[in-house]
Amino acid sequence: MTPARPIVIETRRLGKVFSVDRAPIVALEDISFSVPEGSFVSLVGPSGCGKSTLLQILAGLVSSSSGEVLVDGVAVRHPVPDKISVMFQDATLLPWKRITENIEFPLEIAGMTAAERHKRAAEMLALVALAEFGERYPHELSGGMRQRIAIARALAPNPRILLMDEPFGALDEQTRIKMGHELLRIWAKTKKTIFFITHSLTEALFLSDTVLVMSHRPGRIVGVIEDTLPRPRTYDIIGSAEFGAARNRIWKLISQDDDEAAEGGMASL
Amino acid sequence: MRRLLVIVVFLGAWEATRRFDLVGPLLVASPGEIVGALVKSWPDYLGALRFTVTEIAIALAAAWTVGIATGAIAGTIPFLGATSGPLLSSLFAVPLITWYPLFMVWFGIGMTSKIIYAAVSGFFPIAINTMNGIRGTDPRYVTFGRAIGCSHRQVVFRILLPMAMPSIMSGLRIGTALIVIGVIVAEMLASLGGIGYLISYYRSIYATGHVYLGILFALACALAANWGLTLLERRYTRWRELQIAER
Repeated sequence: MTPARPIVIETRRLGKVFSVDRAPIVALEDISFSVPEGSFVSLVGPSGCGKSTLLQILAGLVSSSSGEVLVDGVAVRHPVPDKISVMFQDATLLPWKRITENIEFPLEIAGMTAAERHKRAAEMLALVALAEFGERYPHELSGGMRQRIAIARALAPNPRILLMDEPFGALDEQTRIKMGHELLRIWAKTKKTIFFITHSLTEALFLSDTVLVMSHRPGRIVGVIEDTLPRPRTYDIIGSAEFGAARNRIWKLISQDDDEAAEGGMASL
Repeated sequence: MRRLLVIVVFLGAWEATRRFDLVGPLLVASPGEIVGALVKSWPDYLGALRFTVTEIAIALAAAWTVGIATGAIAGTIPFLGATSGPLLSSLFAVPLITWYPLFMVWFGIGMTSKIIYAAVSGFFPIAINTMNGIRGTDPRYVTFGRAIGCSHRQVVFRILLPMAMPSIMSGLRIGTALIVIGVIVAEMLASLGGIGYLISYYRSIYATGHVYLGILFALACALAANWGLTLLERRYTRWRELQIAER
């Protein structure tokens, strides 16, 4: 990674406190990291650690309790669809719209003309290699194809940043691996900055330049792994010693945190 | 062809019951008597039909717009939904016809009282179904809408309402049926015109053939409304049927 790349996402001491029945619950604490332009950064952590909350704060969908998020140096307080696209575990395609209309929908909301929208949708369909499915309805496509359409829809407004919240979490393992390859291909082609949330250590390592490791209750960043595995990556890499060593480092960070939490729990008894 | 035969046999048997005087003229009118009634006083029926259709149309327009709007508001604002949901459901359970005498006192025995009575009875199922349809929508779609920069208005009109369309349609079906029934029943109770009025009038002078003819006109109103709804359904909820068929 060259240090010259500008920073597109920066969080400064981000914190989020929810109040449940008037009792404050610290979901995120002191989250500070930065994402350089064009990089692929993953965030791994146990479920319930606040990963999704963090992503929603980055997207401007939820406000933080403290600290701030800067995108291109500007604080994010509400959604900025021209800069940031979000993709979820569920494709959330609109079932009454054809695939092309689904891809065009965010563009329509952004106020783009019909001619431009059609052109853009066709380009995006070609990008995800589903050009022949434009006139179909979402329910006619498989889960993996729907997620590819969701990627096409997210990239259609040409954002700088793609935030992905466990986008392949609901897919079977084989489809998931294929989708990982597909995403890397699209990333290489479009050079977007991707922030990717997952609970799969393998998926995170396979895809990313940098893996952020998060603990739970409160959610904190407990480690940053610079992923130096060679690119382009193929499935074989998962079996390599290098991959295994990096995976173990992440696992140590997560389990260490669990032990500390357990000890802390004991001490307070 | 076979269907036609069944109809002919049925009409023949019906006519025979009267020709051979198997049942009294007050109980059943023969097809011949019904046609006779139509030939004799079709201008009356046409005028009454116009009267009734006008009432139904105005009541439909009011109940559909106010019902969908109320349902959309109650469905999108959690606090309102929590309070107005049970309220709407319990009001819907009240037999509204018991209020009709009051409606007459308030709005007279002309068209207005029929329109308001029918519109109110059609309003509840439409509002309730719209509200439930919106509340049943996966909240992730709302998050998606906000993420792509939809305003509140766009979230409601471009995402929530289309999503709730299958539920809204079933509300419209029930509501529309109640409106057609409501208008005709109200006309039968006390009015100055309309199909219900003719049925009630001819019944009081024991003109059974005319009563049957009136019933046929009422049936025609219901069928026409139903046909319109089927067209709407095809247009707006076909995706849902396709989705279900796919499973």
